[in-house]
Amino acid sequence: NIDPESLLPKLPSPEELRPFPTMCATKFLGHEGRVRSLAVAPSGHWLASGGDDGTVRVGELTTGHQVWSVQLEKGEAVNVVRWRPGTEAKVLAAATGEDVYLISPQIADLNKEVATKSREIIDAGWGYAANGAKSNTKKEPATQWVRPGSRLEGDGVLVKFSLRKTVKIISWHRRGEYFATVSPQGQTNAVAIHTLSKHLTQLPFRKLKGLAQSAQFHPSKPIFFVATQRMIRSYDLSKQELLKIIQPGARWISSFDVHPGGDNLIVGSYDKRLLWHDLELSVRPYKTLRYHKKAIRAVKFHQGGLPLFADASDDGSLQIFHGKVVEDMMENASIVPLKVLRGHQVKKELGVLDLDWHPREPWCVSAGADGTCRLWT
Amino acid sequence: MTTQMRLRGGSRDVDYASSSQVRIQLSTRDNDISLPKNPGPLLVNTNLRRYALSTLVNHLLKTEKPIPFEFLINGTFLRTTLDEYLTSRGISSEATVPLEYVRAAIPPVYKTSFMHDNWVCSVDVLSVTSPAAKWVGNARIGFNQERVISGDYDGLLRVWDMTGDVLAVSRTVREGGPVSALKSVKFISPTQIASCGMDGVIRLWEYTEDAENLTASLSPQIELCGQRRVIESIAVHQPSSRILSASGDHTVGVWSTNASEAPNPPEELRPSHRGNKRQKVQPSTTPQRGPLALLESHTAQVADTIFAPNDHTVAYSVSWDHSLKTWDLPTSTCVDTRSTTAVLFATVSMPNLSLVAVGGTAGHITLIDPRDSTTTVSAMTLRGHKNFTFSLATDPDSAYRLVSGSADGTCRVWDIRSSTTDKNGKVGASVECLQRESGKREAKVFGVCWDKDVGILSASEDKFVQINGGAKVEARIPRGH
Ligand SMILES: [Mg+2]
Repeated sequence: NIDPESLLPKLPSPEELRPFPTMCATKFLGHEGRVRSLAVAPSGHWLASGGDDGTVRVGELTTGHQVWSVQLEKGEAVNVVRWRPGTEAKVLAAATGEDVYLISPQIADLNKEVATKSREIIDAGWGYAANGAKSNTKKEPATQWVRPGSRLEGDGVLVKFSLRKTVKIISWHRRGEYFATVSPQGQTNAVAIHTLSKHLTQLPFRKLKGLAQSAQFHPSKPIFFVATQRMIRSYDLSKQELLKIIQPGARWISSFDVHPGGDNLIVGSYDKRLLWHDLELSVRPYKTLRYHKKAIRAVKFHQGGLPLFADASDDGSLQIFHGKVVEDMMENASIVPLKVLRGHQVKKELGVLDLDWHPREPWCVSAGADGTCRLWT
Repeated sequence: MTTQMRLRGGSRDVDYASSSQVRIQLSTRDNDISLPKNPGPLLVNTNLRRYALSTLVNHLLKTEKPIPFEFLINGTFLRTTLDEYLTSRGISSEATVPLEYVRAAIPPVYKTSFMHDNWVCSVDVLSVTSPAAKWVGNARIGFNQERVISGDYDGLLRVWDMTGDVLAVSRTVREGGPVSALKSVKFISPTQIASCGMDGVIRLWEYTEDAENLTASLSPQIELCGQRRVIESIAVHQPSSRILSASGDHTVGVWSTNASEAPNPPEELRPSHRGNKRQKVQPSTTPQRGPLALLESHTAQVADTIFAPNDHTVAYSVSWDHSLKTWDLPTSTCVDTRSTTAVLFATVSMPNLSLVAVGGTAGHITLIDPRDSTTTVSAMTLRGHKNFTFSLATDPDSAYRLVSGSADGTCRVWDIRSSTTDKNGKVGASVECLQRESGKREAKVFGVCWDKDVGILSASEDKFVQINGGAKVEARIPRGH
């Protein structure tokens, strides 16, 4: 009698796959109520977060000391914060309710040079959209990018524009010139693509089938991914055509992330599933992982060259995985669960709401419904 | 040849009939307490403890006043009788036991704490024996006249006396002072202080005390600017008028405290004093100077830098790029790079051992011999901290001891003579673990300083500078505040 398990290829043990995060090194306090979103700055030095208290905060990553904060709108949660890629400037995009803000956080180390550069990048589009708003062909008026008022401007919040429904997702193109927003309730206006240097908002996906959940640019090609509840569609941006319909088989997608190589993606779902797709292989998942007892809220690949990915769940934990994409086309990605990170408290059925990776180190950060952010190293 | 010595085990009654004997071989690494001639193996009772052995060594040294000694057997301090030690290690009493004796260290007991309004990043001391006093040959710092400086996240530089009174404080934001958190503060001399921090500017301050009027003042002298990000740490060397700085812009800055020697700073990096954030930006009226050199080689933010203790033309730096670099300052070249496995935050040199200690996110401290040409990177690792090591300092009384400040909320004292060897090489464990007297658990310790007279000072997230000192300061520093 042969044990069928013994015929399976043996997975390497987590010990052999170091380094990966194993412990909570730093806790970030300050938010009142849930922290909805967080992001590590491209420099790796700062952590931005946004939450139910309507504030955006920036803290020093390794010490947890808050160095800057701003109250965007009273009584309206900040649902997402995302840094613009690139280290020559410090630009943060944040969304609260239907409003999107572009911010140059007034951190003390923001010397004149960086401050000037950040302001230049955010302000480059003034006057542009007023003339060139023709791209919005329908009757509705073009989205106006405006100054947010002197109180916010004094805090470094330099631009504001409003979309029609609550914005839940912001996703930058790697060069920092474009970013996409997703408003799940937005129907035909759910997905917008914004051109920073022109202060221009476009709505290229008028005929989206289903409720939009998330969107992301391909890391190197002019391809754009849009997730609805059950499918992820990829579009060729230059030809304006649908490329692929990816079918994870999940009932309700919460988030997805594209591997830095561009050919693999991970999907997390409210029905507790984590799915790995090899886009060259199939539109169906290559691997389905079910480790969490509650919904998965966020999934993310390490973007700095380490074969790591993680998910965050309402059960209060994060799960860290080794996920190596093999160059050889005949070989499939190797996926090994490495570590469950526990520490966040579950509050009113909500656990960990967002996660991000450090740009180089094997560290991740998590945003909790318990009001804390944590650095895991 | 074996000398027989009959010794009583301290004040205990010793049952000689039942106790066996063992040969010991005494040795020490400290020349001033070494035995005039090697006594060879000594036969002693196995029921002896530290105290009796210390008496034995004092007897052999013919000391006038007894020196308390501790004993290391194969890198472990003797805390039991010899018999219990040998039994627990399974060592035959037939063998000759090597006994290394060291001066017993005074436990760094808690003395006092100085309270701040925000997290404290950095601390330094001016005492008779501190470098800043020795450089200028100023021995006029009398009884209880030591000074402590601290830098916090509010950007305030404070000068304290030993009773915990603030003698002087730098200007607050409201008064037009810089907004920026202070990451590092250092005495250059009894009348000059350097500070640096989040805004990437090094500030030199003139510090004066008027004993008659009981006043002290802290006035800005020069602003040194030219690095493009936060300056995490500075090192000062008064005799050569040099300052080194570790910056988030990946460079190590080399500066002069002498305004006539330094170039003008780049225009775009001149600091401006933002008042309250809604106030207008005011140009600084303090003279500004640029760097003598910016040393480039690190590929990520530099976190700490020091002068080599015996040669101020050599510098060491550690970085988020995981490496320790050695710099030749006259030529501004990086002459050596040692890579470790983690982000590094702190470094200190152990001069008599030609070792450099580095600490960071790995949780352990690594000792590196930067002159060692072999491929071995680590000479020893010190294990015990449960989180990042943010700061390191050496014991002014011992070439073998150092202290570390950690994100786990403790300071640990290490004696590198105390070590064991496992599959990863030489491993040391701490000999002391200092908790926060504030009671705040896991309050990160960002800065440590070890002064011969004052003791171990630690700056922490708990908003206190805590002082743990040797016995001789006990009567001088009142507890509490
Ligand atoms: Mg493949």
